[in-house]
Parts: sequence; structure tokens; C-alpha cells
Amino acid sequence: MSENAFSENSIRDRIGSRFGSERIPKKFQIIRDTSDFFRVEYNDVIILGEKPFWVKRYEKEGRFGLDDEPKYWVRRAVDIEDGSTKILKLVFHERFDTKIGNITIECYRSPKKEARILDLVAGHENFMHGHWVLDSAGNIIRILDFIPGRQIDKIIVEYGNDHEDYFYNYFPSVLDTYIEMVLAIKFLHDNEEKHGDIRRDHILWDRERKIYRWIDFDYNYRHGESMFSFDIQGLGNILIFLVGRGDVLVPELYAKQRDLFDSLWGEDLNISYKNRVANLKKIFPYIPDSLNRVLQHFSWGAQIFYENTEQMLDDLYKAKTDVIALSGS
Amino acid sequence: MSEQTLHDKARRAAERHLLAAVDESDNSKRAVMYLADFFGQDKNVFITLLSIIPEPSEDYFAKEEERVAWLGEKKQFMEKVLAGYKDILLGAGFGEKQLETRLSIRKCRSIGDAILEEQERLKCCIVVVGRRGISHNEEFIFGSTSNKILHHATNCAVMVIE
Repeated sequence: MSENAFSENSIRDRIGSRFGSERIPKKFQIIRDTSDFFRVEYNDVIILGEKPFWVKRYEKEGRFGLDDEPKYWVRRAVDIEDGSTKILKLVFHERFDTKIGNITIECYRSPKKEARILDLVAGHENFMHGHWVLDSAGNIIRILDFIPGRQIDKIIVEYGNDHEDYFYNYFPSVLDTYIEMVLAIKFLHDNEEKHGDIRRDHILWDRERKIYRWIDFDYNYRHGESMFSFDIQGLGNILIFLVGRGDVLVPELYAKQRDLFDSLWGEDLNISYKNRVANLKKIFPYIPDSLNRVLQHFSWGAQIFYENTEQMLDDLYKAKTDVIALSGS
Repeated sequence: MSEQTLHDKARRAAERHLLAAVDESDNSKRAVMYLADFFGQDKNVFITLLSIIPEPSEDYFAKEEERVAWLGEKKQFMEKVLAGYKDILLGAGFGEKQLETRLSIRKCRSIGDAILEEQERLKCCIVVVGRRGISHNEEFIFGSTSNKILHHATNCAVMVIE
């Protein structure tokens, strides 16, 4: 397609005919090389793979205590040809250290990795979907389908009147969802890929497709002997959150439920975050032993760790049987 | 047990071929010094000093040239380290013919598995590794190579040097 196909006038015409003439921006740039993503402004149009994308706001992410940290390289955009909302991820290489307790993990943000996984999971419904193209400078731009929906953690904390109500009446289906999400990660691992950034805010409920989906897999970490253990610790932390209907925090127990606080030992705490309880049966005695044993794999008292998702899934299936028996559902 | 298996076992026992899996760490150096101290005067022992460099993922680098450069530097560095370890063993009384150094750059999911594959291939009767002395939560996040070898080694003894 010629350069003229995306001249300022033709872009104005396209925006006008699809979205109405009142929405045509007075001023905008047409961008083909996104190397300097700070240059990309609201209402600019990026040409990717011979398609024009109308740039809107940048996305935000809460991380490392910096809530709503802007991600200038991640822009919401509208596909001018069909009007669909997309997320454009521009190229931003980053190397940084993540701390889990006193452990430092070397992490990398890699557009190549995310592009590779987008290809891999194109037919898998538990992952975000999209495709990638090269911009005029050869940058790998990921064009992601927008997922309308909320994070799993925001949803499940609203279930039930209290923990007991939640656990008996809602948790069996939450556990089913969780197992489904672990199976999705197993699919990555079976294909020699890591998710790289497994956190509860990276699971979204897609309210249109009615399914939970993993998002954001552009991180890789430098692994040690066990290639997937960092992913698995992320899965463990999510499970602890789901079973507890939120984080059960040691300082809160100290302030509000001193008897429970007094019953805790160091070995009951989360191996990654020492202010969270992992041995949740001490807090909620109706949790089946089989499920609690899975949680204890992620506690300071753990003697053995899961080496892969298969081992974890074996235990989760046993726990599921007990959870169902308990709830009678 | 078949005749062939018996023969293999007997041959390995006679050769007393040790595989010392090392990197640049202090614990690897301690393991080499331990071998020097224990076997330096033993003319029946043959040692392969093995270092494995896992090929880093392309994801860790913005450009392929950076990855190639990293690998080149790492290879050069490890060759020096291996030469240093060989000198320690030579100084302890080993002869040139009793020692071999081997640097393997390879894709591997687990260094422990890669070491055991080498052991299987070379038919070494003992695998020697240093222990890093990692904390409980470090083992949880990264795993432990010496534990992996201890749990998965077959047809050989394992020496873990503290």
C-alpha cells in the first residue's frame, strides 16, 4: 500500500466516516517508527502492518507499591478500519531485579518473548490473544485484543458474606477456575515457555467470552536449576489468596485476632512474603487437609517444593474432591 | 545383570573416572581443592573438569549481537577458570594424562540434568559438585543443582563438597 493511502487527509476521511466528523482530531501525527514511544501522543495514528491505529490513552499498572504507574509503551488504540479497541505494546527493553523476600531475581522485559507466546496461545482460550507486526524500524509491536473485564482478585473478594460462606458456597467453582488457569500455565511449560510474571492481577475475567484469561507475558526471568519455580511460586501465591479470600496478613491478626496470631509459627508463613499466612487451616479450620497441604508447599515450613505444574495439579485434584465433599455441591 | 553391564561396571570401577562439575564459584574451587587434596597422589584416578554454560535465552538481550558477545565473553572467562582449576590439580601431583577439561555450551532446562547426561555419556563413576549453601527460600525460587544431582543420579556415586 502506498504512503498516500495513509496521508493526513485519508486518515481524516477514514476517522470521519467511521466515527463521525466531530471526532476528527484537529492535530495528529502519523507514525510508522515507534522507537521513541514517548513521541506518541493522544490522537496520533500509528501505521502497523498496513493498518492505521488511532492512539488513545496509555495503560497503567500497579506494581512495586507504585499504584497506577503509567506504562508509556502500552497504548490503548482503535483500529480505524473496524473500530475495535486494541492494546498496542511498543518495544521497551528493560532489565530489572525483582525481590522476593531477600532473594533477587533478574528479570527481562522481552517483546520477542511475548510475540512468540502470542503465536503459541492463539488457539488457547485462557490467554489474551493478539498478533505482532514489525513497525518501519523493525520493532516488534504487539497488537492485543482488548479484554473487557476485571481482575480475578477484585471479583472473588466480593463472594460470600464471610469466609465460611465463601468457602462452602463459592470456593468449589473458584478452585475449578484456578485449576483451569494452572493447566494453561502447564501448556506454556510443556512448550518450554514461562509466563514470567504470574500475579493475581494478571488473570482477567473476560465478561464477553465468560472465561478467565492470563495476560501480560512479556517478562522472562533468569532461572536457576528449576526453570519454572518462579512461575510456580506465583501460582502458589494466587492459590493462597483465593483460599483465604484475600491475603491473611500477620499484622492484622496481631491487631484484631491475637489468639490466632499466637497460634502461628514462622513455618506457617508464606515463603515469599513473610507477612502473609500460608498455613490457612490455622485460621479457617474447615479447610480440608489435602488443600492445606498444597498451601504448605509455599510456606516456610515446606520440606519439598513443586518442581512442575503436574505435581501441583495431582495434589489439586485430590483437594478438589475433598472441597466438593465438604460443600456437598 | 547382563554380562555387558557387569563389564561396564567393572571397567568404570577400574578407571576411577571422576566428573567434577564446576563453575566460577568459591564452592567449585573448594571442590577442586578437595579433589587435589584427596586424590593428588593417586595415579589411577582420572578427572574430567566439566563446566556447563547454559545458552541464554534470546529474551535476555535486545539484539542477537549482544547475546553472541555475552556468550563469547562467558566462554573465554570459563576457559580461564577451568585452566586455573587444572593448575591446582597439576600442582597437587596429577599428571597431564589424568586430567581433561570440558566446556559445554548448550541449551538446557536444568544444569543438573545436563551434568548427569555428561556423566552418562562419559561413564564416570563419581560426580563431584560443590554445594552453594543456599537458603531455604533461595532453593524454593531457584532450585538446587546439587540436590537435583543427588536425587536423580543413577549408576554413579555423588560427592557433594561443602
